[in-house]
Amino acid sequence: MKLTRRPGGRLVVELGRREGNLLLLVLKQYPCLPPAHQPLSKSGLLPNQQDTQQLLDEALAEQRAECKKQLRALLADPQRFKKKTDGYRLSLSPGDAEWLLQVLNDIRVGSWVILGSPEGRVEGLNVENAKNYWAMEMAGAFQAELVAALDDEWDGP
Amino acid sequence: MAATATPEVVPGVIQDTENKPKSGLEPGYLVICWNDPVNYMHYVTHVFQVVFGWQRKKAEFHMLQVHEQGKSVLTRESMEKAEHYVHQLQKYSLHATMERDE
Repeated sequence: MKLTRRPGGRLVVELGRREGNLLLLVLKQYPCLPPAHQPLSKSGLLPNQQDTQQLLDEALAEQRAECKKQLRALLADPQRFKKKTDGYRLSLSPGDAEWLLQVLNDIRVGSWVILGSPEGRVEGLNVENAKNYWAMEMAGAFQAELVAALDDEWDGP
Repeated sequence: MAATATPEVVPGVIQDTENKPKSGLEPGYLVICWNDPVNYMHYVTHVFQVVFGWQRKKAEFHMLQVHEQGKSVLTRESMEKAEHYVHQLQKYSLHATMERDE
């Protein structure tokens, strides 16, 4: 996997065939986080908390639906996702890179939740949950590469 | 050192600061990020930079606070702004909540 920055902030990701196929398999897991997973507040002392929580859950559900749409459009656009003889080329605008990070981390955190939110090492791997462990690790690996490439140039406004 | 002024109380007005409800416009809400074992440190730093527009140094300071102390108060805002920031952070699947600043 090779990432390069182009003028204008575009990020070009060159993937070998196996890497590209792996990324496609990981992205198929999206969305992975259970809906209404995150509380707005831990203390429960906010005014109209139930209503505000509902609004937050709806906003996050809409955002996930939008990300799913953007992901489908990206993978169907040969200008941005090109299959080559030896692999794939992904061309991302800075905006694309941000929502792709959100997608990858949804898969990572969602897989971790499915695994029982372990504090340390994942215990009790079996045929059923191995795919979640794999998705968590692979999404994390792609995410780390993307963050490293983005932060090369980003040091705040 | 200047002497402390005696507070003036207007007759007929009862001052009740303890039970005063926080208005939505008052910056009385804390946006907190909590530690979890799944989010990578560089990712958390990146998200803080994007969501708050912080320099890397400030974002790293708060990320380390989350990592070492279990949580970090990222900002103190009005209710609406705090909701906005929690939404932005949760979009990136960070463990963020808002709490009243008691």
